[in-house]
Amino acid sequence: MAPITSASNEETHAALLNQLDMQSIPKPFRNPNWKPPQRRNKNLKQILSEASRAQQSIINTQQNSGATTPAVGDGTTGPASLNPNPAQGSQDLSRLVLDKNNTNLQATQLAPPTAVTGGGLGAPSVTYTSIQAPPSLKPKQKYCDITGLPSKYTDPKTGLQYYNAEIYQIVRGLGTAQVQEFLAIRGANTVLK
Amino acid sequence: MPHFTIPILADSGRNTPKEPPTDTFHLSDPPYQGQLPTDLSTYRRSASTGDTAIIIDNGSFSIRAGWQTEATPRLQFPPLMARYTDRKLNRKLMFIGSEIYFDGTARGQAKSIYEPGSNIVNNWDVQEGVLDYVWLKLGIDGQQGGVDRPVVMTEPLANTTYTRKVMSEILYELYNVPAVAYGVDSLFSYNYNGGTTGLVISSAHTSTHLIPVVDKQPLLSHATRLDWGRAQCVEFLTRLLKVKYPGLITSSKVTDTQIEDLVRNHCYVSQDYREETLRMLEWAGLEDRDQLVQLPFQEKEIIQKTEEELKMAEERRREGGRRLQEQAAKMRLDKLIKKEQETEYLKDVLIRVQEAPTKKAARELLDEEEFKDEAALDRKIKEMEKTIRKQRNKDVGDLEEESKEVPAYPLLSTPDDELDEDGIRAKKAQRLLKANHDARARAKAEKEAEKERQAEVQRQDDAYRERDFESWVNDRRAERQTVVQRIRDRDRLKADLGNRKSQASQMRMKHIANLASDNPNGKKRRRGNADDDGFGADDADWGIYREIQAGRNDDDEEDEEEDLGAQLKGLETLLLRFDPQFTEQSTQEAQRDWTKSLYHAFARGPYAFDQESAKESAQFHLNVERIRVPEVIFQPSIAGVDQAGLVELVESIMMERLSGHAQRDAMLKDVFVTGGYAMFQGFEERLVTELRAVLPLEAAVKVRRARIPVLDAWRGAAGWAGTEESRGKFVSRGEWMEKGGEYLREHNLGNVFT
Repeated sequence: MAPITSASNEETHAALLNQLDMQSIPKPFRNPNWKPPQRRNKNLKQILSEASRAQQSIINTQQNSGATTPAVGDGTTGPASLNPNPAQGSQDLSRLVLDKNNTNLQATQLAPPTAVTGGGLGAPSVTYTSIQAPPSLKPKQKYCDITGLPSKYTDPKTGLQYYNAEIYQIVRGLGTAQVQEFLAIRGANTVLK
Repeated sequence: MPHFTIPILADSGRNTPKEPPTDTFHLSDPPYQGQLPTDLSTYRRSASTGDTAIIIDNGSFSIRAGWQTEATPRLQFPPLMARYTDRKLNRKLMFIGSEIYFDGTARGQAKSIYEPGSNIVNNWDVQEGVLDYVWLKLGIDGQQGGVDRPVVMTEPLANTTYTRKVMSEILYELYNVPAVAYGVDSLFSYNYNGGTTGLVISSAHTSTHLIPVVDKQPLLSHATRLDWGRAQCVEFLTRLLKVKYPGLITSSKVTDTQIEDLVRNHCYVSQDYREETLRMLEWAGLEDRDQLVQLPFQEKEIIQKTEEELKMAEERRREGGRRLQEQAAKMRLDKLIKKEQETEYLKDVLIRVQEAPTKKAARELLDEEEFKDEAALDRKIKEMEKTIRKQRNKDVGDLEEESKEVPAYPLLSTPDDELDEDGIRAKKAQRLLKANHDARARAKAEKEAEKERQAEVQRQDDAYRERDFESWVNDRRAERQTVVQRIRDRDRLKADLGNRKSQASQMRMKHIANLASDNPNGKKRRRGNADDDGFGADDADWGIYREIQAGRNDDDEEDEEEDLGAQLKGLETLLLRFDPQFTEQSTQEAQRDWTKSLYHAFARGPYAFDQESAKESAQFHLNVERIRVPEVIFQPSIAGVDQAGLVELVESIMMERLSGHAQRDAMLKDVFVTGGYAMFQGFEERLVTELRAVLPLEAAVKVRRARIPVLDAWRGAAGWAGTEESRGKFVSRGEWMEKGGEYLREHNLGNVFT
């Protein structure tokens, strides 16, 4: 236990510890009979991949079953028609009809979604991934990797951008690890898998 | 009056180094705020209606929680929890929020609700701990079983279903909350600031959202999210500093919160990035733009030996030396004595041999001593006597110096046939001796001659200089130029050899291949050279091994005949003495002047840098980083983020996606900025300038900021919870049980169901 404030010493630190500790305080508002499900901590990648898989299976189900009449144009049915329960969705993604579904899906997605809520056959219009900003279409401005000033020149050997001859001398003298560090800032380093 | 350490020369190109800065910054202490107080009053007061909602802004930078009736959130703390078992006390400990900073171990064990860089809840145990903390501090006693007030919680735009499901589960099942409503923080903030139609730009800790709003209804299908916020700024600055000052920024020395404070205190948004960076490292005014941060350091201890100690050390050393000398002298003396004894003995033998009655007896005596004959014995004795004499002279010095006579070589003049065998041998010996002596004399004479020659050259040079100063100076200058040129060529050659494709390297390869091949002279053999190509006969051939030696380092240059560095120095001293125009500035030294170096200005500011000083080695300078870090939101490619910048996103929403929209111009009149990133100085002005550049002329762009960008989301949610219609949007526990974990009631300040 390392006291970090210079003002404290062992005793006051221990007293503070006891004071701040939450473990020993009773929490009667907690329901004692409820246990959290196992493995509920999921990181973003897992959540998104599971969501997209659920999405696909729902689409499959919708397309293949006769549960809903395929709506032409905008989906008018409310969100209740979309059964979000993935367990009922078909798990078999390798069916030929998947291609047909996919083309349908893309068609509905490309058309500008006019409804705020997603409905019917189309994929929901607002998901975490769908609102992600697209890559830039404008030409990128180049900046010197060492100093951050606008750069006009690139070192052919390493790919680093540099500002002038003086910085170039420094660039020439860098070792491989340092070069990769500079490039990593820009996201241009080589990643070996 | 500023004090300059180096005099200002009128014509000098050298920049004046500045004095050390007056305000250095230091790294901040961990943000320990003390224990947050518990307040039971509001809970008790609202017990009658049970209606006062608890508002929780579940942010990635800080959790803000409080009652809806209050003006500002009572609790504000980072979403961290440290739960571990202490070894010494042997019990489980749990700390939440800023309270973890009171202890180093706790800080090391801290976990966040969110994974770094994301605004989706990841660690539910921490979330539970944080909620426990909130309920406790708000005075919830749980007598009715669970939390018995409705809860309003914020969530990120387009929150995933899974996250909402787990959150609802926790709230309803674990804490027994009667009703819950979710909403988007930026929309709450917009609503609070009286917005109806506009574009909401919420730039927060982990991400930046752009949401167009028309008549209080958000157009979520046209919303977009840029993955850059203050957390990414902190990471970016850490990386920049790591490469700029290798070894200085390690995670043990500098923590995340300290870098965060650096970002907060030193960074600002530039109005014209390109121009400002170009001018940032100019010498004039650099001390204003450059900010120096001092890390804690330890002074290197220079052990000052006192005078006495130094003297004693000297004495001891000399003592040792003397003792060794004495020992050596004693040994030599002993040897000398032994040798003398031997000579005595041999002399004795000689006398006996001479007095021997028969030749046979003499022979026997000689054989005993292993001498060939008398003459040999005689010679041996003479040799030993000579050495003894020499040694005596050196060591003891009690015999007088033998006069240096010119050694005579009488036998050399007698022709061979007049001498007997012995004589011939003696003559050979004498010839050898004479040759030696002559050689030595010649060497001496040469040295003298050389000195003479040098002096002569010098005299001539001086005469030349006195005679014709101009041309002498010009000659010297030309010489200096050639030496400089040769140094540069040599350096370039060295560099070339490192590069695999250069001409020099390829020539080298050719040489090596030639040496190694069986047919070095090509396919056609020269006539008359059957197998032997004669390599090595000529001395110049061996020079090729020098040429192909690629790893030539500086040591080689020094024992080469031309030491270019020394030559240059010599010439420059001459020029300095005599040439009025050749000043300190023109010397090679001054040209590598640090005040002219861009990199020095970048890494060390306009101040002199002392390598040895521990204090200066633990400093870093923020100049370009101050504007580079916040700039990424406008140009994400600076940090390698493959998304469009903020202005481009606004442009794409307004000009492309919503180009035909009736309310588009109305939206542009109310561009609303909220979130922690908006606190950077210059953010709004920059946005206005850039937007005006890309949007049509007739669109009047107005940008405004939330009153308190970090708190307005909470205040907006609190305000919304107070309205009548908001209550209709709460999902009660019973409803939730019935309609399933993913049920969501949509409203104009929240997400839509997906």
